[in-house]
Amino acid sequence: MTARVQTWHERVSWKSIALYACSFVVACYLLAPFLWLVLTSFMTEAEARSVPPHWIPERPTASNYAAFVNPSPELRMVGSRAIEETPRALLNSAVVSLSTALVNLFIATFAAYSFARLNFRGGRLLLMAYLASRMVPGIAIIIPFYILMRKLQLLDTYLALILSYSTFTLPFTIWMLKDYFRTIPRDLEDAARVDRCGWFGMMWRVFLPISAPGLIAAAVFAFMFSWNEFLFALFLTSTIQSKTIPIVVANFATDLDVQFTFMAAAGVLAVIPPLALALVFQRLIVQGLAAGSVKG
Amino acid sequence: MGERYTRLPKSEPLMLQTSRRQFLKLGLAGLGIMTVPLLAACQGKGEQPAPASPAASAQTPAASGAEVVTVRFEGWNYEPALVEQNLKRFMELNPDIKVEYTPIEGSQYRQKIVAEFTAGTQPDALYVRDDYFAGWVTAGYLQDIEGMPGLDEAYGRIYDFNAAAMTYEGKRYGLPYYADIVAFAYNAELLEKAGIKEPPKSLEELEEQGKKLKSAGLVQYPIAFGFKLTNDFWYDWWGLIYASGARLFNDKMEPIMHTENTVARDVLAWIERGMNETGIVDPASIELDGGKVRDAFLAGQYAYILFQRYEMARANNPEQSQIAGKVKMALVPSLDGENKGTVGWTRMYCLSKTTQVKDAAYRLIYYLGGLDESGVPYTAKWWFMQRGLGFAYKELAQDSEIRAKLQTFVDPDIYSRQAENARARENVQEPWYSEWESENQKLMQQALTRQISVDDVMKGMAENAERFKKQYGA
Amino acid sequence: MRIVPYAARPGLVTSYLRQLRQRSLTLSDNLFAYVLNLPALVVVLALIAYPIGYSFWLSLHRYNLKRPDLYRFVGIENYREILTDRVFLNSLKVSVIFSLLSVSLILVLSLTFALLLNETFLGRGVMRSLVLLPWAIPGVVNGMMWSWIFNAKIGALNGLLYSLGLIDAYRQWLSSPTSALLAAVFAHVWNMVPFSVIILLAGLASIPGELYDAARVDRCGVFQRFMHVTLPWLMHPLLIVLILQTMNAFRTFDTIYVLTGGGPGEATNVIALQTVRTVLDFTDFGQGNAYAYVIMLITLIISIVYVRLLYKRGSFET
Repeated sequence: MTARVQTWHERVSWKSIALYACSFVVACYLLAPFLWLVLTSFMTEAEARSVPPHWIPERPTASNYAAFVNPSPELRMVGSRAIEETPRALLNSAVVSLSTALVNLFIATFAAYSFARLNFRGGRLLLMAYLASRMVPGIAIIIPFYILMRKLQLLDTYLALILSYSTFTLPFTIWMLKDYFRTIPRDLEDAARVDRCGWFGMMWRVFLPISAPGLIAAAVFAFMFSWNEFLFALFLTSTIQSKTIPIVVANFATDLDVQFTFMAAAGVLAVIPPLALALVFQRLIVQGLAAGSVKG
Repeated sequence: MGERYTRLPKSEPLMLQTSRRQFLKLGLAGLGIMTVPLLAACQGKGEQPAPASPAASAQTPAASGAEVVTVRFEGWNYEPALVEQNLKRFMELNPDIKVEYTPIEGSQYRQKIVAEFTAGTQPDALYVRDDYFAGWVTAGYLQDIEGMPGLDEAYGRIYDFNAAAMTYEGKRYGLPYYADIVAFAYNAELLEKAGIKEPPKSLEELEEQGKKLKSAGLVQYPIAFGFKLTNDFWYDWWGLIYASGARLFNDKMEPIMHTENTVARDVLAWIERGMNETGIVDPASIELDGGKVRDAFLAGQYAYILFQRYEMARANNPEQSQIAGKVKMALVPSLDGENKGTVGWTRMYCLSKTTQVKDAAYRLIYYLGGLDESGVPYTAKWWFMQRGLGFAYKELAQDSEIRAKLQTFVDPDIYSRQAENARARENVQEPWYSEWESENQKLMQQALTRQISVDDVMKGMAENAERFKKQYGA
Repeated sequence: MRIVPYAARPGLVTSYLRQLRQRSLTLSDNLFAYVLNLPALVVVLALIAYPIGYSFWLSLHRYNLKRPDLYRFVGIENYREILTDRVFLNSLKVSVIFSLLSVSLILVLSLTFALLLNETFLGRGVMRSLVLLPWAIPGVVNGMMWSWIFNAKIGALNGLLYSLGLIDAYRQWLSSPTSALLAAVFAHVWNMVPFSVIILLAGLASIPGELYDAARVDRCGVFQRFMHVTLPWLMHPLLIVLILQTMNAFRTFDTIYVLTGGGPGEATNVIALQTVRTVLDFTDFGQGNAYAYVIMLITLIISIVYVRLLYKRGSFET
């Protein structure tokens, strides 16, 4: 008896038991709320409203999702036409987010290169200015921004959103890329120069391909920011021409007549793209963040 | 020269185990994918109509060769499926007009419409509540419909009360959607089970009866209010204070609710006690809007309710209510047991000032809120038959079909008796009314959750009124 | 052998830039750097600096979009008004409380999670992916999800506590000022913790293993190792987390907008929410801009304090 307990002790230490117990608790904390959303999205409305709640759907149904593809006439009305608008809003979000990511890469690469490689006068100040602009809360400039967009007749267009999101993500991507670029050995550039490449050629053929992980991480960040952004979208969009998915989800959430299950399904749909990106590029994101903020 | 460039950089801050080469491929693929949507974005932008003129893009030639005009129409989302059904009929009768209808969440209607007018994406025709009618006229959102065909005839047949609600500085702006009042209703079956013979006349009686119902285990909470923050007004609150004869302003539109007239204060104190002490009022009221309270009442969860009078039709319709046949209407209980009134309101259809399709939009709202070819207010009557919505047209009160329908869900005597002493809100014709109402709702929520006192609420209401008056003052 | 894609023939700009670079190294470095920064500068100046200036100008006006006829210059009237306005001062207070609570909770939770995920155990990789989940969830969806979990009538939290026997009747979590604020904090923290965990994990990874070995040789216990090795090395990332999360908490909007809408009363009416209401609901652009300016000043002060802290530690590298 005693001997068995001891071998058990030897194999599984208290420390690892504690580790797994903690991991379990943490995993529940992280997963449970979202899992509840997902489970609900597969319930019928009656089941979702049952007291006490059903944790597992008794009769799982995909009808909540099917409604987004082909809504019945009544469902089309729900939540200021939120169900009907969801597919288009997802498209709008994708266009805006991808464009913002691209604009970011394009502009931030140049700026970041200058900080990583060139020791220029005022560089430090400029970098601080970028950082400071990141500190400006969106709410503080939303009104003049709105008026500006109104004057330019850009309200309710993709461009207004892309411009504003780029503004907000640029300081961060510049910062992130600057640190990534510094990890790239200088002799690669020199070698390219020996091969008589111009600066653009060197960037395109040597520098950027090697920086791909950093670039992707930056792009993913810009994408996720734009996908999730709500405040500017609330001001700058008004019709389905440009409404992004958070706006439509908010319509669901604040409409008192919407069924919970549709809301849940819409929520899950809105989460899929950023979640997929986060999971696929997990390592890059972590690395990018690490390089951008922690390295002293 | 290739292999030199694929060397890994030295520093690897975190677990980067996948090979660099794979990342390169991924990255290039990613870039490739990303360029496609950008192109799509450019195209997408091209397709958009200029935001400043929403109506301009709307006109498309029909197959027959005649011009089909598109009217953009928005309203809060009361029974949107029925609305669409009625609009379908309109379009069949008027093949040259296409109506694009968007129902908007009612608790945010004002906010959303204001945002649309600000952005220049407003509809051509829209629902307007008397709450913000004056504010929207002075903001230049709405256009008057003076001189439009059939207007005098329609206005000649509606109650003065409703006509006044749609008129601002002598100009007429709207056609009536419906008009109604707040009614008090009770679940007769529950009262009977608790051995209660008569519905309560005073708030004191309501409290006593509520305690009986609670102790008999018939309900957890006898009554609930729709006290969630909303862009609509808290009609149950207004109904209750007007039943007790409250006056919030004097004739010069100076606030008196915090000084000489304490009725509103006392009613609020009663609700607050009911919520926090006596357990008469469901404390979840703050998270519920009127619709949710109604649904719970119709599921038998509450014994009493203050709701729109037209909801009596739903309450006693077996298809929509679990307690059909058991819901009775009574005069709204008051502080001293004598009912002194209730609140009444007018909802209307208006045209936006900027509409490019005024004639078509007017034909639409005249179909909805005016008279048909045979001189009958078709849609108003249809709404009553469908959902019991009150009407602004006097003649409908004598309509035999309507009278027959009325008897199926409510005692006609009490139905009209409560209407006789109904009042419009004293300051509803002020441009600042709806914003003031919103601020009041926050104040009252604070008192109901015991963050401030009921006296603070009254003082706050008065302060807000003065502040808004100053803000909107010429 | 990898074939590097051949770039387009360098154009005029390129050759000009190359000439610049070849002519004089220091001068061209300066100029070249600014040329490279030009696009970013244009964007930042046009879309942040200009709005900031314009915002200030508008904040000196009476400007209600619904009453353009009343537009006029009023000086500091708007500021005077809001600094004595009960609603504004309350929202400021709510924001401060909200920020304090959520930032400290985030610090504790993310440090715990990061230390846990820094250990080696089976399934660590899965956990590291899992930790990103809340971060990928848009604030609006987050608010919606939690509003439903906290729902008074059918919420999952009520259901869970009730079936565990911890409460004897369903509670109205979002109806009481305190629990509504806590609910908002909880929802916000859940959404924000992952980001901090990642930063701290990166910080932990950069601690040289030899330090721990040395500590072990010195017979330091777990707690001492944490105090003498881990914590000092983590100061920088912790400070970063502090900055980012303070900013986040102060500007938070979407989660609360959907979860409580600022209620009950004004118990969760954070400053961002109040500004949006002033602008979108009351269309008061004059006062709205004054709000915005006050918020900006506050964040500026906080940033300066933090940045100075970073500088003091001597680890602020540009």
